[in-house]
Amino acid sequence: MQREVGTLPLAPALRARLAAAGFQTAQELLDTGPCGLSKEIGISREEALEALQVVRQECHGDAPRTAGGSGATRKCTALELLEEEQTQGSIITFCSALDNILGGGVQLTKITEICGAPGVGKTQLCMQLAVDVQIPECFGGVAGEAVFIDTEGSFMVDRVVDIAAACVQHCHLIAEAQQEEDHRKALETFSLENILSHIYYFRCRDYTELLAQVYLLPEFLSEHSKVRLVVIDGIAFPFRHDFEDLSLRTRLLNGLAQQLIIIANDHKSAVVLTNQMTTRIGQSQSTLVPALGESWGHAATVRLIFHWDNTQRLATLYKSPSQKESTIAYHITSHGFRDVQPPAVTQSTEGTELNPRKRPRTEGEKQ
Amino acid sequence: MVILRAGLCPGLTEDMMELLRANGIRTVVDFVSSDLEDVAQKCSLSYKALVAVRRVLLAQFSAFPANGADLYEELKSSTAILPTGSPSLDQLLDSGLYTGEVTELMGAPGSGKTQVCLGIAASVSLGLKQHVLFLDSTGGFTASRLYQMLQAQTEDEEEQARLCFVLQLEALQQIQVVRVFNIYELLSALQELRDRLSQQVVSSMGPLKMVLLDSVSAVIYPLLGGRQSEGLALMMQLSRELKTLAREFSLAVVVTNQVTRDSSTGPLKPALGRSWSFVPSTRVLLESKEAAWEKATTRRVASLAKSPRQPTGIQVELDIG
Repeated sequence: MQREVGTLPLAPALRARLAAAGFQTAQELLDTGPCGLSKEIGISREEALEALQVVRQECHGDAPRTAGGSGATRKCTALELLEEEQTQGSIITFCSALDNILGGGVQLTKITEICGAPGVGKTQLCMQLAVDVQIPECFGGVAGEAVFIDTEGSFMVDRVVDIAAACVQHCHLIAEAQQEEDHRKALETFSLENILSHIYYFRCRDYTELLAQVYLLPEFLSEHSKVRLVVIDGIAFPFRHDFEDLSLRTRLLNGLAQQLIIIANDHKSAVVLTNQMTTRIGQSQSTLVPALGESWGHAATVRLIFHWDNTQRLATLYKSPSQKESTIAYHITSHGFRDVQPPAVTQSTEGTELNPRKRPRTEGEKQ
Repeated sequence: MVILRAGLCPGLTEDMMELLRANGIRTVVDFVSSDLEDVAQKCSLSYKALVAVRRVLLAQFSAFPANGADLYEELKSSTAILPTGSPSLDQLLDSGLYTGEVTELMGAPGSGKTQVCLGIAASVSLGLKQHVLFLDSTGGFTASRLYQMLQAQTEDEEEQARLCFVLQLEALQQIQVVRVFNIYELLSALQELRDRLSQQVVSSMGPLKMVLLDSVSAVIYPLLGGRQSEGLALMMQLSRELKTLAREFSLAVVVTNQVTRDSSTGPLKPALGRSWSFVPSTRVLLESKEAAWEKATTRRVASLAKSPRQPTGIQVELDIG
């Protein structure tokens, strides 16, 4: 293997010593052996052994790796990926217009970012998704569990109870209408207590806790392999205040984004983040743009922007690798996230009913 | 700075090595730049043997100058120009992507970089029947969108549905996707590619002409800045790998990059700084036609920011829909 020493994942001090001693390729390192290596560059035998093990692992990359076993399995042809994508489900949101513009729902193995002004419904959608990911497969769901990481403290359990109850009710109606055996069997396990017990909730108070939680998440996910959704509600909040060093912030955010995409890919789950909006002051006008800067915009694969149009809530798909940009309207009712015009199939009658917990928006208040 | 080892060339034995090392000659550079008569005296070795070893070492390790005319002939016969699938982009790039060079696409989020990359992969795989390697570091590769593009391209040319389908499947099989989420995985994947190409194993790989990397800034950004000293070194290692791959094996390498701003009101500039700006020979900036995100559109504007052949500043319109 003519792999250069500079490209191996060794500690920088060790790399510097190897370069000074004249080692250029990995093959030379392996030929020298641990005793010769420790003599040449003046390190202990244990350190030399460790370094050589890393080199051997890197060079013989087809050997199965311990951490996640991901190296060799990430290579495939586009045809295999297409087959995988077509059999993979997506998490529905109960708002068919939103599902349509997303291409079926929130996609697994991708990071979706929801940006919006305060009060527009980001946390509502997150809670709806945490319930919807658990819908059994016979009803069109992915039958997974959810991890909810809360940084703002906006997770309200009684609201989740309302949403879950409405979801169970909806599934009961479908089962009654279709009268199939697997529907009835699935409904035995799909109850309110079950739904709530499969939402794993973490509360992070500052950015260090959030970073630690995300870095510990792969271990948690390998124990709970049925998790199909990771929600981080409020990724902007811990990073927006009290940060003196902005370049550190960019670095941390980029590292976080890479870690999240690894989690989404290896565990076949969807990652949903919510972001705040900030104002960009231009020469003649100011516009609302998503917070955390330009480079953060590249972290998410799919970006949804929620905004107001007088009293109507709108969702715009701003960035997606497979769907066109478009805008739809949605409603938040006491049963959760819904369409503005309820579809004719189900019997929901609360299309325009406002959520009693949210204060209604009046004409005079503009954003 | 290769160190001298016993088996490096026929005349170099273990005893000779020990004597040389005792006198402070450890690397090839030390050996060939030292005065051999002096060395022969100090180490009590035969002068003839030392001269023979030096000749072999020079033959192995030095670079040979090439004639300009020969170089031109070689380039003429080995360079190919690959179409990107979009006629206006081809016009911007002086009829297409040149092999042997690194081309960069940069743009803000949502400006269409991944779409253009998918379009290039589809066009090279379908139109030229060449293999394509797609290195994905952002998770943005969507096979169903690629399939859509292939469908759109085959339906223009062929009439029979069955033939279309077979062509599309073949094209999909020729595109290999590798997901790399950090710099070491990326370097490892490039090394594997280099080994496979230099051994000329005609396996599933076939004739490879195009390598797409989406995006290079996602893997390098976490390493730069702060008190980390090796970020810049790794970035330069990566750039050397990409350029030597492009040149040695006549590949066209396309990378995508982000854009940043100096302050919240400054102009957009490409990410990764000045050091990276010397790596690609051609740079194209993709922008959306509308300034705000409220108006949805599939039209984009591509402008040439750096090119060895065309004047910079020319713009064309693209449709990524």
